[in-house]
Amino acid sequence: MTTSIVPQAAGGYDVDVIERSDTSMVLSMGPQHPSTHGVLQIITEIEGEIVTKASPEIGYLHTGIEKSAENLFWSQASTVIERMDYLSPLTNALCYYLAVEKLLGIEGAIPLRAQRIRVLLSELSRIASHCVWLGTGGIDLGALTGFFYCFDLRERILDLFEMSGGARMHPNYIRVGGVGQDLPQGFLAKLDGLIDMYEPRMRDVRRLLQKNPILQDRMIDVGIISPEDAVAWSLTGPVLRATGIAYDVRKAMPYSGYDRYEFDLPVRTEGDAYARFLVRLDEMDEAMRIIRQVRKELDEPGPWQIPDTKFAPPPKETIALSMEALIHHFKLVSESFRVPPGDVYQAVEGPRGELGYYVVSNGDNRPWRVRTRPPSLYNLQVLKKIAIGELIADMVVMIGSLDPVFGEVDR
Amino acid sequence: MPSSQSPPAGATALDPTAVRPEIADARIVRVAPAELRATLAGLKNDGFSMLLDIGGADYPGREPARFDVVYHLLKLPVRIASAAEIGTPERVRVLCGVAENAAAVPTVTDLWPSADWAEREIFDLYGIRFDGHPDLRRIQMPDDWEGHPLRKDYPLRGPARERTPRPSFALKSNVAAGTPASGKTAAALQKQIAQARQKTKDDTP
Repeated sequence: MTTSIVPQAAGGYDVDVIERSDTSMVLSMGPQHPSTHGVLQIITEIEGEIVTKASPEIGYLHTGIEKSAENLFWSQASTVIERMDYLSPLTNALCYYLAVEKLLGIEGAIPLRAQRIRVLLSELSRIASHCVWLGTGGIDLGALTGFFYCFDLRERILDLFEMSGGARMHPNYIRVGGVGQDLPQGFLAKLDGLIDMYEPRMRDVRRLLQKNPILQDRMIDVGIISPEDAVAWSLTGPVLRATGIAYDVRKAMPYSGYDRYEFDLPVRTEGDAYARFLVRLDEMDEAMRIIRQVRKELDEPGPWQIPDTKFAPPPKETIALSMEALIHHFKLVSESFRVPPGDVYQAVEGPRGELGYYVVSNGDNRPWRVRTRPPSLYNLQVLKKIAIGELIADMVVMIGSLDPVFGEVDR
Repeated sequence: MPSSQSPPAGATALDPTAVRPEIADARIVRVAPAELRATLAGLKNDGFSMLLDIGGADYPGREPARFDVVYHLLKLPVRIASAAEIGTPERVRVLCGVAENAAAVPTVTDLWPSADWAEREIFDLYGIRFDGHPDLRRIQMPDDWEGHPLRKDYPLRGPARERTPRPSFALKSNVAAGTPASGKTAAALQKQIAQARQKTKDDTP
């Protein structure tokens, strides 16, 4: 059988023909492909337009974050750790600090207000991250309009991050024993504005994308994953829940007081790209439901950091008056705190799935080992399996529906 | 800013794993490479169906096994299941010590296909081979890279740039294997870990 594809026709700006035989052809997609959401290369073997083999190649964004973290103080390491999953940096920092707090033995002493702020920021991160997925995922399929609606919403969330921690993308706001400072003046008013605009905005987005027959045609029955495969390939997060397994760390092993809030887990059983799309959309609404509950509690003032100045810097106004405060502040800045020896695995539910940190301390002021369990790495790996038998044009749909972040895949 | 004291040289044998039973984040199992596959297959039969992650860790100077390969397993049902059915799934952590001169463990890619990239990453960054892996090559670093960057004796900025001036945060890095970064000496750290280990032993009947 000879294929009708000629190399010239396939040789666009991003697809190079590597090899061609009479029946099959090897195509390299990426690493500079606009629809791979970062730097991913996929060596595909196609027969006609059907993919017979797909081997994703990663590592183009490897920055040695785990190695850097071993060489920074416990409190400094979160600055590089936030850069792994750059679409929801606060979730990374939260998980890392939860692990450190367990090693320090202070996880029971985190003030209530700090826990509430942490939950609020995690859920805002989830919405902001899903906004990027939804906007860019729509662009992959030619639906450009949804992008502007999603990014406008995301921009308002990033404004809140900027108010809280000083930076839009990597606020480094979560600290050991709480958060860096109390929520600033005007934060809650702005949050109220976001809560008010969320529902009409998402109604628009859903009308634009969810019922769109072109998008439905592209996504329904594409990249089907069975529950058995999902477990065998270590999938977590929305990708797992779209196959019918309702595993979510927030429900299964609650942290930061998630068990105090009421929310449902959106689950679907189809396992295709459209199911993942719907699960993520519903997850945004559930995140907003949690945010509304947290918002009510945030009117109550309280401490936002543990009072123990061995870990948390003393309040600024005491430094000029108290010798001990000055000493503690100096020690924290110059050589950080020491963490008793031990190893711990801590997981949180990031926007992409179970984000885990295996942290080892040898009793020093730097982590001995910080191993991340990146959900994107495992979610992306299943592409090897689900791409087989699909159309080459559906490859971008499948990548988009798995929602990988390459800062996290390559670290 | 960290102080600019140069680190005391010398390797340390540190093993701070499994000294904190009160954290209770997972059941901890320590195995030798020979019994690794049997242990993992047995756990899989017991319902630990998901291999969450495989990580590595380096404890230079630890005898007889310098490296740890760490398997994190989760007990999940392999079918459509509601959150109530899943409840709080059990976690187990399997630590497998690997000697430096024979740094190899059997692969588990036939038990869990997801082990593929994780094993390649440990091979790439620690230099531990996985016997029977179908496609064992570097994954994060370029194919022609020399050395294994996550080993503690691998300089932070790579061998080529090691002699040029370093950024201040890297002054007390782990260039000398296992060097404590703080003023605490290696012996003091080791004593602390030994005490924690002794305490764990005394507490468990």
